[in-house]
Amino acid sequence: MGPLIPNGIIPAEWDSIIALLIGLVFGFVLEASGFSSSRKLAGVFYGYDFAVLKVFFTAALVSLIGLYYMDYLGYVDITQMYVHPTYLWGAIIGGAIMGVGFVAGGFCPGTSLCAVAIGKVDAIVYVVGIMIGVLIFSELFSFFQPLYEGSFMGNITLVDSFDINPYWFIFIFTVLAIGIFALSDKIRASVKKVFY
Amino acid sequence: MVKKKVAKVLAFRYKILALIFIILAGGLVLLPKYKKHEGIKPETLLSNVINPERYISTDNLAHKIISKDPSILLIDVRDEKSYANYTIPNALNIPLNKLLDEENEMYLDQDQYDLVFFSNDNFSADQAWILCNRLDYTNIKVLKGGINEWFSTIINPAIPSENMAALEFELYNFRKSASMYFGVMYPEQIKVAKKPEAKPVAAPKKVITIEKKKKAPAEGGC
Repeated sequence: MGPLIPNGIIPAEWDSIIALLIGLVFGFVLEASGFSSSRKLAGVFYGYDFAVLKVFFTAALVSLIGLYYMDYLGYVDITQMYVHPTYLWGAIIGGAIMGVGFVAGGFCPGTSLCAVAIGKVDAIVYVVGIMIGVLIFSELFSFFQPLYEGSFMGNITLVDSFDINPYWFIFIFTVLAIGIFALSDKIRASVKKVFY
Repeated sequence: MVKKKVAKVLAFRYKILALIFIILAGGLVLLPKYKKHEGIKPETLLSNVINPERYISTDNLAHKIISKDPSILLIDVRDEKSYANYTIPNALNIPLNKLLDEENEMYLDQDQYDLVFFSNDNFSADQAWILCNRLDYTNIKVLKGGINEWFSTIINPAIPSENMAALEFELYNFRKSASMYFGVMYPEQIKVAKKPEAKPVAAPKKVITIEKKKKAPAEGGC
């Protein structure tokens, strides 16, 4: 947990405990904001409720700005951060499949577990569906392998591959995000309400 | 009516949040950027400087050279004239003022060989070590005492006096043999070489019977 553990402020064994606490709080906040309702989650795709969009963009912006401020102050080192490896076509096709599943089921994997916790039947079916999907993937892995491991571009970020100044990128991203939030509010005010 | 009021307050709240975001992001763009440290942190450098583990003794180095240890690379950080004058065998010369040149980087920034810096005493070698350690090069050692110590222990070892411990005598034997390896001739060696030459090849002994001539008694008179 940076910047506390790499800088030695608290001992490294607190890692798992902090992870548990953060997960607990995260689940609580998800449920309290109503994200266990599949109609609210699928609203992004049908255009009547944009909560998911706002959550994602806000999370990305807060972590991005926070990280870069901590890097400026010297608490964390941006160059030492773990970056996920980029498998281009695997990401695109996997993302499309996940999007179809999201709209069809009305949950993403994290919120489905939240909804299982409150006893929703469609969340339980969703989790069973996840298990079936994992089974299919692992049994037919030899067919998926070139897609899974192909087009590997390394652990790159947007800054590396497009050579853009990260600070300007963050600023423009913020302005765009706020514009999108305002737009989504306008759309929501003018659309028929859905009961959920 | 209450709902309308709540809606207005909420809208205002979102405006405040949006403003906070834009101010933070703008601050990130506008803050002056400074160049970060290249290499290790100052605290790490200080703890490395105090640590005496970077020294390698002359006996240790002589042992490594004699047993032809392939993992070390000797680097002489004095200037070229001193290097041409005398140096430890198989040492490279990288003068201190050329230490950070591009062409020398490939000798320094690698982790296959252990580098051993040496100079007349370990002062210049220590300076070279600090520079390289700052840039986070690993596996760098410094010869303790430098060439001066090399001379007084390996090339010219001090004979232990009779009341020293047995270890000193073993050390002296090791140093003497090391000095012979590095080309020092001792007087005992020369004598030993000459002796067999001085001995002539012994001819096979023939038994010669010597007939003793009987001396005729002196005849008196003629």
